[in-house]
Amino acid sequence: MNWQALALTLRLSLITAGSLLVIGLPLAYWVAFSRRRWKFLLQTATSMPLVMPPTVLGFYILIAFGSSSPLGRLYQRWTGHTLAFTFTGLVVGSILYSLPFAVQPLVNAFVSIDPRLIDASRVLGASRLRTFFRVILPLSASGIATTIALTFAHTFGEFGVVLMVGGDIPGVTRTISIDVFDLVEAGRYGQANITSLVLLAVSFTVLALVYWWNRRAWPRTPWA
Amino acid sequence: MEPARLAAHPVGLTGRETASGGTPKPMPQPDNTEERAALDFFARKRYVNRTGEAFSLDIRFAVPSGITILFGASGAGKTTLLGCIAGLAKPEEGRIAVDSRVLFDSVAGIDVDVSRRSVGYVFQDLALFPHLSVERNVRYGLRGLDEAERERRIGEVLESFRIAPLRKRLPGDLSGGERQRVALARSLVTRPAVLLLDEPLSALDPPTKARILDDLRAWNRARRIPILYVTHSREEVFALGDRVLVLERGRVIAQGLPQDVLGAPRQETVAQLAGFENLFDARITAVHDDLGTMTCRLAPGSPAAIDIEVPLARIERSSAVRIGISAGDILLATEEPRGLSARNVLRGTLTTLEERDFKVLVRVDCGVSFAVLLTPGACRSLELAPGCKVWLVLKTHSCHLLRPTDDAASF
Amino acid sequence: MKKGREIHGRPRRLRLTALPAALAAVLLLVLLPAPARASGQLTIAAAADLQYAMHALIVKFERQTGAHVRLVLGSSGNITTQIEHGAPYDLFFSADVEHPEILKREKLIVPGSLRRYAVGRLVVYVPKGSKLDFAREGLAALTDPSVQKIAIANPRFAPYGRAAVAALRHVGLYERLRPLIVLGEDVSQTTQFVVSGNAQAALTALSLMFAPGTRSRGNYWIVPAADYPPIEQAVVIVGRSTEKPLAQAFLHFAASSEGRSIFRDYGFTVPAPEKGQ
Repeated sequence: MNWQALALTLRLSLITAGSLLVIGLPLAYWVAFSRRRWKFLLQTATSMPLVMPPTVLGFYILIAFGSSSPLGRLYQRWTGHTLAFTFTGLVVGSILYSLPFAVQPLVNAFVSIDPRLIDASRVLGASRLRTFFRVILPLSASGIATTIALTFAHTFGEFGVVLMVGGDIPGVTRTISIDVFDLVEAGRYGQANITSLVLLAVSFTVLALVYWWNRRAWPRTPWA
Repeated sequence: MEPARLAAHPVGLTGRETASGGTPKPMPQPDNTEERAALDFFARKRYVNRTGEAFSLDIRFAVPSGITILFGASGAGKTTLLGCIAGLAKPEEGRIAVDSRVLFDSVAGIDVDVSRRSVGYVFQDLALFPHLSVERNVRYGLRGLDEAERERRIGEVLESFRIAPLRKRLPGDLSGGERQRVALARSLVTRPAVLLLDEPLSALDPPTKARILDDLRAWNRARRIPILYVTHSREEVFALGDRVLVLERGRVIAQGLPQDVLGAPRQETVAQLAGFENLFDARITAVHDDLGTMTCRLAPGSPAAIDIEVPLARIERSSAVRIGISAGDILLATEEPRGLSARNVLRGTLTTLEERDFKVLVRVDCGVSFAVLLTPGACRSLELAPGCKVWLVLKTHSCHLLRPTDDAASF
Repeated sequence: MKKGREIHGRPRRLRLTALPAALAAVLLLVLLPAPARASGQLTIAAAADLQYAMHALIVKFERQTGAHVRLVLGSSGNITTQIEHGAPYDLFFSADVEHPEILKREKLIVPGSLRRYAVGRLVVYVPKGSKLDFAREGLAALTDPSVQKIAIANPRFAPYGRAAVAALRHVGLYERLRPLIVLGEDVSQTTQFVVSGNAQAALTALSLMFAPGTRSRGNYWIVPAADYPPIEQAVVIVGRSTEKPLAQAFLHFAASSEGRSIFRDYGFTVPAPEKGQ
């Protein structure tokens, strides 16, 4: 069992899930509450990774951040290296890849909040920000848990993007799914099997924990 | 019973002295503040009601502190009006001021943010935060105060609304009445400059409702802020109102004291809202200035037409009018009554009996059909049944002359 | 009213029957076994480094015999796994000898069909404009600070990856350059990392340097054959093949002087023909 790959994958999944929560909350807020006519475009854009093969996403990350693109050159001048083959590159790829899994549950949670509660908060003197943190967030607890679970699990088993941009560097970009791939390629099926089982077990445990917690979370309108 | 007013002059909204019996007031007195408009409202706004019909709100009024009832059918624009005051809805044009503080002025470009309007708003569904305890719900609007003052105010309001023992409970664990009290307390603890109540008590039984209203009145006795109270319950209007504004399709169609506006409705829509079961087409056939009455023919032109006496009003002979009579204002007798002050005694045949919770609605054909409201006890002791010969007694002042709603044509 | 309903009823009935019919049709299409392969069609699985040489061979072979050849490219490890699980290939051109040997041990090949057909050659591929001077410094040029990432194929299973590691070891630079190494799944991806500008050098197959996209975007230097064990490549006829005579014919063509010159043209060293074949 490749513990290094497991630790790396856990770290990648946690950072991705955390980042996606931070990115997803304002995006979802905007999608849920904006009255702009073109907000459907943002909705579509955030859902694109659902239909885009991870290899395509990885390919574009390679191209966009390679030294032949202006963006890549800018990034290289700034950081001294390309985004590919770095842990940061995996985080960026995973964030893009799992974005829909963060935004959609949050949007669902936000729109199912009784708008009168938001009005009530505002009338009671709370700013939009305070309303967000004191009313919208606590009442979206189950949506937030779902977001964390989905993005974590989705990243944990993520393969295509990592294969495309990772470069399979042990301890940096060799995730557990890549390790399984390598083991199969090398014909070491027994080890591949063990690693795969660990991957499945971790994902199952994380999802089960979240759904168990979710079951106990706030009902949105307890008396309805 | 208060004598019905059919005066043609409009009843002002600041006509509190009329209600308190017309005794002349000494000039400097505590009630004086009521004479000044505490809430000055003018707004035009297009809105879509709950059934999806588009209306335009076009309302102008000024009310002093105390309770003003907003009365009207659903979709009349009541909630939109409250929204304009709270800042949850933005008028296309208008000016809204509370105690001379301008909250909105389309000309001056003023639009104070919702959170800074100092408005108390109790929503129809109360909108208590389900994840916060009673205490934290009440505390929610208290910011920028030191903790001691916050505690003092919370304690005070929880006492006033008798919910102190519920402090730690969640809204989901409260009864309907308790939740209403929490919602009121949460709004009032912030010391709002104006209080908006959107049918907050509609779901309660009458005794609970009355107790909460008493507490609300007691609270406001010291503070004297304007309170707009939306309802479409006629009982609440009479129980509460210092004033009433009747809204229909985004317009104010009547305003004044409850007993003037709803007790003696001068518009048919108001009469319908106020629950006048008997509405008739009629024509004035004679005016008796000396008797203070007019003779009025119901269902003119039909062979079954009958004449009744109605109070004198400044209406010309042979004008077409509508007459409204509340079913509860009609007396029913099984023998011909004699020696009454009532001018109208009509003979008829009982056609139907219809029992509705604690009331019996009886229909009597006297040429035209009248609805009469009786108690089940009266019904039994008179042994009423369809086909009975009966007499109806109508007090002159129970017969209200109505005029069509002015604005109806503009839609 | 009744009449109207009847009139409306007809298209609805049609639609109701059309839907299951359409579903059934789709199901049939999906579930029916693919039509049997037309006879005279050969399916060749080949390692990624062979893609250009194979194309050239196949074009000539098809012209000469009129047969149809399908080409499937992949890593040798992957193709081996697929054959173990019944993939319908006739021929397997591996990039090494180990994988065909595995299949031989598992008795999944036509006995006696395993033969070495070519020896691959390792190159260093750098983007156009790279200042690295391999002609003078050899592989030591990779120690230049401008080199941040060096792509090699995954040595856990890719023959060129193992050769790359051996070559770097040979010049005593492996440990030093190891932090810069990124792994491609196969030589194609390894080369791609340089083409997309994410790596500054790749140790890859000479045979891939003949692709127009690769040639226009970079330069290569051939690593001396003495620096690493030869990348011997073997071919087998798959035991389950239904086109064994045609497969045999293709092998024959590949071993002909014409076939050998094609391999040579695409960057392989070709061993002397084995006797008795």
